[in-house]
Amino acid sequence: MDARIKYSVLLVGIGIILAFLPFNAAKSFRLKPTELLSKSSSDDIYFSVDQVARFMNNEDSTVQIIDVRSVDQFREFNIPGSINIPFSDLLDPLWQPTLNQKEVKNIFYGNADQTASYAWTITTGLGYPNNFIMKGGLNEWFKTVMNSQFSGEKITPAENARFETRLNARRTFTQINSLPDSLKTQFFNAKRLIQSKLDGGCE
Amino acid sequence: MNLFKNLKIVILVIIVLLILVIIRNSNQNIFKQDVKTALDAAQNNSNLLSPDQLLQLKSKWLVVNVGGDDLPDSLRIQNSIRLPFEKLLDKSNLKILQEVEGDLILYSADVTTASKAWVILNQLDFKNVFILNINTNPEELKYKFQPDTTARLE
Repeated sequence: MDARIKYSVLLVGIGIILAFLPFNAAKSFRLKPTELLSKSSSDDIYFSVDQVARFMNNEDSTVQIIDVRSVDQFREFNIPGSINIPFSDLLDPLWQPTLNQKEVKNIFYGNADQTASYAWTITTGLGYPNNFIMKGGLNEWFKTVMNSQFSGEKITPAENARFETRLNARRTFTQINSLPDSLKTQFFNAKRLIQSKLDGGCE
Repeated sequence: MNLFKNLKIVILVIIVLLILVIIRNSNQNIFKQDVKTALDAAQNNSNLLSPDQLLQLKSKWLVVNVGGDDLPDSLRIQNSIRLPFEKLLDKSNLKILQEVEGDLILYSADVTTASKAWVILNQLDFKNVFILNINTNPEELKYKFQPDTTARLE
C-alpha cells in the first residue's frame, strides 16, 4: 500500500484523538504529587532567620530574598536587599525569570509562615527549582534578630559570632528602613565603600 | 479486508496512543487543577475556617490532623483523624480522603503543614477542603517596627 495513505490514516487518527482531548490552557503543577509532598515534608526548604541575616550582611549574590507581602507592607519596612513579589502577583509572567531559575536561591518571607508556604508550594509545584522559606517570617526575625539579647557570663565564639551577625543585621534593618526610599540605594553604596576601606581597598 | 491488513501497524499505533491518552486522563493522582484557583483562595482566605465556623457547619465534615501534635483541648470534636503529612498521598490515606462525605478540614498546630497539604489537595481537585485556623489571622505581625528618627547617611 502507498506509504502516503498509511501516514494520512495515522495523522487523521492522531487528529481525532487530539480533537477529543480536553483543552486546558490553564497553568497546572508539573511535579508529581508524591514528589511535591516529599519535598514539602523536608526541612531542607527552610533557612533560619540567622542564616538570612548573614546573607543580608554579606550581601550574598547567590541569594535573593523575596517579600511576598503586599506592596504597602513592603514599603513600610522590609529586609534590606529583598525584592517585593506580592503573593497575588506570583503567577505574573514578569516574575517568572526571577522565580524559575537555577542560579540564585530564592527565599520567601511574609509576616509569618503561611503566605510564604503557599508561595513555596505553588512555585515548587510548577517545577521552579531553588525556592526556599525563611522559617518563622518577620515575626521570627523580630524575635530573634531585632529583640534578642545575650544574658549570661560567658559567651562561646559561636554564640559571639551569631550575636554579632544579629547586631549588624539589626543595625542595617533599622537604619535602612528609617530612611526615605530615595536614600536607600545611597546607603548601600556608602556601606560598600566603608567595607572596601576596611578590606584595604582604594576609595 | 485487505485494506485493514495493510493498515495493521497504523491502527496499532493509533490504539496504543488512544490507550495512553485514556490512562493519562483517568489518572486520579496527577495535578489537573488551575494554579490560579489555589492562589485566589489563599489570597482572600476563603480556604480558612475558624473553630466557630466549623461547629456551625450544616454539612458533614471531617477534621484531618496532618500535624505532629494532637488537636488542642479547646477543640473537643469527635470526627477527627490523624494522617501524617508525609504519608498523606499513600494509597490507603488517599482513599480515606476521597471517601470523606462533606467538607474536609485540615489541621496542624503549625498552620504551614496544613497550608501545604491544602495546596496539594486543592490541585488534586479535592473539593470543599479547608484549613482549620485557630488564630484570628495567621499572618498577623506581632511586632512593631520602630524607625530610628535620627538615622541619616554618614
